[in-house]
Amino acid sequence: MRLRPAALAALLFAAAAHAHIASNGFLGVQVHDERIAGAIEIAVRDVELSVGADADGDGKVTWGELRAAGPGLARYVAAHLALTTQGSSCPLSFQPLQVNERVDGSYAWLPFTARCAAAVRGLEIHYDLMAGIDPSHRGLLTLTAGGLTQTAVLTPGSGPGEFRVDTSSRGRAFVQYLRAGVGHIWSGVDHLLFLFSLLLPAVLIRTGGRWEPVAGPRPALVGIIKVVTAFTLAHSITLTLAAFDVVRLPSRLTESVIAASIVVAALNNIFPLWAERRTRIAFCFGLLHGFGFASVLADMGLPAGARLLSLFGFNLGIEIGQLAVVAAVMPAVYALRGAAFYRRTLMPWGSAVIAVVGMVWLVQRAVL
Amino acid sequence: MFTEAKNTSGRPRLIRGWPLARVLLGLCVAGFATAAPYIPAKDAAVLADLPLGARHRAAADGNGAAARIDVALPLAQFYVARARATGDLRFLGYAEAALLPWLQRPPVPAAVLVMDATVQQSLHAFDASLDELDRALRVQPDLPQAWLTRATVLRVLGRYPEALDSCAHLAAADPAVMVLCTESIRALTGHLRAAYDSVAAIPAQALPPEVSAWRCSELGEMAERLGDDAAAERFLRSGLVLAPQDLYLRNAYADLLLRQGRAAETLELLAGFDSMEPMLLRSTLAHQLLHDGASDRARALLANAFALEQQRGDVVHRREQARFLLDVAGDAPAAVEVAAVNWQVQREPDDLLILLRAARAAGLPDAAEPARQFLREQHLEDRRFGALLGAAP
Repeated sequence: MRLRPAALAALLFAAAAHAHIASNGFLGVQVHDERIAGAIEIAVRDVELSVGADADGDGKVTWGELRAAGPGLARYVAAHLALTTQGSSCPLSFQPLQVNERVDGSYAWLPFTARCAAAVRGLEIHYDLMAGIDPSHRGLLTLTAGGLTQTAVLTPGSGPGEFRVDTSSRGRAFVQYLRAGVGHIWSGVDHLLFLFSLLLPAVLIRTGGRWEPVAGPRPALVGIIKVVTAFTLAHSITLTLAAFDVVRLPSRLTESVIAASIVVAALNNIFPLWAERRTRIAFCFGLLHGFGFASVLADMGLPAGARLLSLFGFNLGIEIGQLAVVAAVMPAVYALRGAAFYRRTLMPWGSAVIAVVGMVWLVQRAVL
Repeated sequence: MFTEAKNTSGRPRLIRGWPLARVLLGLCVAGFATAAPYIPAKDAAVLADLPLGARHRAAADGNGAAARIDVALPLAQFYVARARATGDLRFLGYAEAALLPWLQRPPVPAAVLVMDATVQQSLHAFDASLDELDRALRVQPDLPQAWLTRATVLRVLGRYPEALDSCAHLAAADPAVMVLCTESIRALTGHLRAAYDSVAAIPAQALPPEVSAWRCSELGEMAERLGDDAAAERFLRSGLVLAPQDLYLRNAYADLLLRQGRAAETLELLAGFDSMEPMLLRSTLAHQLLHDGASDRARALLANAFALEQQRGDVVHRREQARFLLDVAGDAPAAVEVAAVNWQVQREPDDLLILLRAARAAGLPDAAEPARQFLREQHLEDRRFGALLGAAP
């Protein structure tokens, strides 16, 4: 067997632009109240099979031939695709044809709009394209409504697909993001460690080079409120800025600084350099913690049409989760504040352990 | 607690996510990247090349396939042959469409059932295929094609005793085919050497070309499993000379070359076949061996194609998908999941191989336990498994 140089083989390879997969149609539908907008994509090969496009019979379909087949294609789609809501159909009207490229070749892109009799709550999609021609054809649906996206596989001839379209889906999105926020702070050990490093001494006061318990609940409460509020304000600001792409920081940097913040806050309890500036520390480092939250939100994505609401829900979830933990732990800490064991052993040594953990994370995140 | 798994955003997590879900999401995102429809600049721009057999049929009912069985059957046969020659799955849909009117009108003729069983087999819908074959054979027990297809399907499913039974029914129709059928199964149940010698002893000149090509592919596989790569190569090359359109032979030869690191020869072998996912996968692996950077586009193409098939619930290319995940995407845990799903559908030596390899790479020896058990029960020998069967690392 003759060997060709690898470079030539690479040229041959580059010529392969498409893969032979089974027949798919792509249906994108967006619902706004009683108006529907969307597009159906049908492979040019399937257009040929269903309505005929190769007018000159030369085995190739050109753009000119496809355009000429446009009206026939629109009639075919109108006869094989129906959107109905509450029993009445939403008639389709088509816009001019375009082309889209996909993994298996060129597709005819046929945009459409539809108007339903009333605001859409439940949508029925009757999809019967290629029925009788290619039973393996499937419609891959992406349905967007009220900020949420659903996908489904539609099988021609097997009855309509039914999809719920909730305007209250915005409310569902809000709840979903709220829960995500709570879950995130409860699993965000680094955020919690930072916060608690600042809160542990809130029940104490530094006098004469020693830690003494505060006299009553009021100073402790004030201290806790100041730290928590500063942290909350700061991370809310940067979370919002990052979520809307106003400011972006590389995640390696933010994660490393978050780890460093833990070290600083914990060490501050042992060597109180900024003993009474914990509020400021909470605010300054809180700004960076906000970027950490934002990268989680970026993973989830904000749904179009409900972005602000979902962001607000996420942030609120973080605050609720945070308050829950603080409310659970601080009363116990307050009760312990008088004990010498707390002041001399638990708080300093606990802070030391936290500082070590922070150092390990700092090394991991910055270096590895 | 102090070692953190990183997720895709770089945000350290203490919980490891689902690897497959992550990969699929990534695949889907890559595949369904923002659609960008456009208007071509020229009317003469070619948008599609129509392969033979994919033209519009002007008549409402195509060409009378629904009314005449002597049109429907040859048409379906033609489409199945086109599917085999081009690797284009759409043709199987067209074959199905030609047969559907007959399948829906009882009593269904046995010939229609057998033809549809062939279509289902090509789609890897093996249970549906067996069901139709059994129905056909109840109506007409004397159908050699049905017995042969049945033997093939049962063999892919790993149900060897039943497969042997099906082979035995071919004795009257074609003794040479019966021997090939039987020996290829005995080769999987502890008699590899004896079966190999038996089949090698059949005089090739006496056989029609398709059967001779089949003999070559069986011998090629047996020789490879015996560890005799040189003989395997000889047989596979002879087979390709007899049947250059045989995609199974071509892929088998490509796998042999890849295993030996002969990447440039692999590319030459597969030149012009890259529109088929199994071939494209092997080309990509060859390009990876050559480190020539040509594999990036193919990687995206394959990822997209597999993601679409996954969304549709198709199982035809699961083995290739598992190999893609393991050898191209480098995602061993996802590869194990797909290989395990593939194992539920089919049980050929290559399915065993990918499951064993993926489980080992992912450090999940238990995932391959069903495969090892199957090996032991059937006394299946395959030198390619070699070190994969050793004690867990």
